[in-house]
Amino acid sequence: MSETTSNENDYGFLIDASRCIDCRACLVACSVQNETPMETTRIWIKETGVTGQFPDLERYSAPYHCMHCEDPSCLSACTVGALQKGENGIVTYDQDRCIGCRYCMYACPFQVPNYEWKQQLPLIVKCDMCISRLGEGESEPACAATCPTDAIIFGRKSEMLAEAHRRIEENPGKYIDHVYGEHENGGTATFYVSPAPFEDLGFPSAGEMSPAYSNRLVTHGTPTVAGAVAVGLSSIYLTIKHHEEAMEALKNGSTHEADNAADEETQVAAQEAA
Amino acid sequence: MMIKKIIDEIKSLSVGYYILAVIAAAGMSVAAYRLYAGLGATTNLSKAFPWGIWISFDLSTVAFSGGAFTLAALVYVFHLHDLHPAVRPTVLAGLIGYSSVLLILFMDLGRWDRFYHFLIYPNLNSALFEVSWCIMLYSTILVYELSPALLENSRWSGLIKVVEKWTIPMVIAGVTLSTLHQSSLGTLFVVMSPRVHPLWYSMLLPVFFLISSLAAGLAMVVGGATLSYWIFKRTLPENIVAELGWFIPWILGVYLVLKLGELEITDELHLLFTSGVYSALFITELIIGVVIPIVLFSIKRLRHSRVASLVGALFVLGGVVLNRFNTSWFTIKPVAGQTYAPSWMEVAILIGVAATAVLAYSLIAHYFPLFEETVRVKRQSKVRRELAHTGD
Ligand code: SF4
Ligand code: SF4
Ligand code: SF4
Repeated sequence: MSETTSNENDYGFLIDASRCIDCRACLVACSVQNETPMETTRIWIKETGVTGQFPDLERYSAPYHCMHCEDPSCLSACTVGALQKGENGIVTYDQDRCIGCRYCMYACPFQVPNYEWKQQLPLIVKCDMCISRLGEGESEPACAATCPTDAIIFGRKSEMLAEAHRRIEENPGKYIDHVYGEHENGGTATFYVSPAPFEDLGFPSAGEMSPAYSNRLVTHGTPTVAGAVAVGLSSIYLTIKHHEEAMEALKNGSTHEADNAADEETQVAAQEAA
Repeated sequence: MMIKKIIDEIKSLSVGYYILAVIAAAGMSVAAYRLYAGLGATTNLSKAFPWGIWISFDLSTVAFSGGAFTLAALVYVFHLHDLHPAVRPTVLAGLIGYSSVLLILFMDLGRWDRFYHFLIYPNLNSALFEVSWCIMLYSTILVYELSPALLENSRWSGLIKVVEKWTIPMVIAGVTLSTLHQSSLGTLFVVMSPRVHPLWYSMLLPVFFLISSLAAGLAMVVGGATLSYWIFKRTLPENIVAELGWFIPWILGVYLVLKLGELEITDELHLLFTSGVYSALFITELIIGVVIPIVLFSIKRLRHSRVASLVGALFVLGGVVLNRFNTSWFTIKPVAGQTYAPSWMEVAILIGVAATAVLAYSLIAHYFPLFEETVRVKRQSKVRRELAHTGD
């Protein structure tokens, strides 16, 4: 159903909200690695706020960045194809193509793409799994490498998913029974486990099917619709024209006869006069 | 000499033109500042609301400009030649509408310096890509359809014959392109579905947008006839206006059935009463833009009245505007409690563009044979006829 299906070499993240201590080292690491100012980062912290009764207070947090969807909505939306699915399932952004229409920001069900609002000629800011860093031979992105508690780990997508389920199974009662990202938006490459419900963390509830699919159903129908409309209009035009010409011919034909009759009459009259 | 002539000509224009020109110039200066300073400094757009009033304006204006393709289809494809006098004024309105949209879209692009990228980097999955292409091509066709009016009294009037030879294929291409982009503007919101309120979201959005643009297009022609009766003293024969009005209840009827039917099928009909302010917006939209006009245009006497048909047309247009604003702004789900209201500069640029549009329309109507075939409104003609009678 999705145009881009995942393969074995895809990378993925596993993010564990029970381990995140909200130190924000990942934010700094990402900002340094990708030369983005802290006010427009590619990564944020989502948190529950303090809950529970004193002294049993609880507060959970988790870093949040592009989920690298299997069938990304942003990619389907982008006017100029600046968002692409690269090797290893990474959803990349081509900053030399982007025209800044910001459609991707609305299309992403996780509200991930950020924008350099303060710039005169702004660009989109979005996690690309530190693709340039990985290209330099590093084994993991800056955020995962920096996290002091291993709340973010990085590896093969299938292994990350298996590890997510293993943590839930081996620690009964510790996590809620939901791997966020496994089915959201048709499946992603970022998996979350959390002791607190994801709504409380402020995660959006995305459907199990990517709207990119419905979008393709409609946009791919376009050439057919265009063809049908053009053919339909042309045939209506020709039919009516043919009909009108037939009527015209009929009218002309009858006036010709009348003319002939008149001519005959005048001839007769002329003969009589002679 | 030439310059003096132009200055004299400008001096002879009425004060209304000057007022419009001042507003337009003010708006354009704000626009220039926006291009220089960037979006953050000039707009209230944010990560939670990356699109704002400009997009809502674009959607409404494109729907209004649907008059041009609706009329072209009726006159050239369906051979309703009686409507021919309305073609030039409506095509000009369409062209000016689309030009305003292009201007505002340009303002909306963060990287306006790369606006041409949609020409060289296609994404066939993107509704916005399709819309951009259709609007560009269709604007060219509108220039083509208008060109006889521009050429008529000029040195190049010989070209009109060549232009008219290709009118039919061009019209068919234009109607096809319009069908595509009018509906694709609805498709825009399909991939955005998580943010669109379920009362408005539907896989049928493209169909809804297309049908409502037909109604809006006809309403523009019907209402425009009354307006030009008052402003330019030229108009369409009353029976033609009534004939056009006759279509409106049918189109809106289909629209209403589809809208409610879709809600029923997706089991969302209860939202009509349970979504608080959203229900109110939805119902208002349908009453203003659909129910009232259906009633008004079903009454023969009202279809034949200039004032009543203008009122009916304004209801249709008001409903379409509300629908486009609802879909693209008012009912978009807020993120983390953030909402959006436009900055004064966003509004000033819109007013500037609107003033430019009205100015351009009036000037072209002033200098080019736009209303040649329309009926001249003249009180004297009645008097003269009476005189002629008494002379007998
Ligand atoms: S999370 Fe959003 S930005 Fe990232 S791939 Fe998915 S749709 Fe695109
Ligand atoms: S803002 Fe840039 S990346 Fe996003 S959809 Fe528009 S062109 Fe594509
Ligand atoms: S993977 Fe790289 S780009 Fe993405 S959030 Fe982590 S550090 Fe930033």
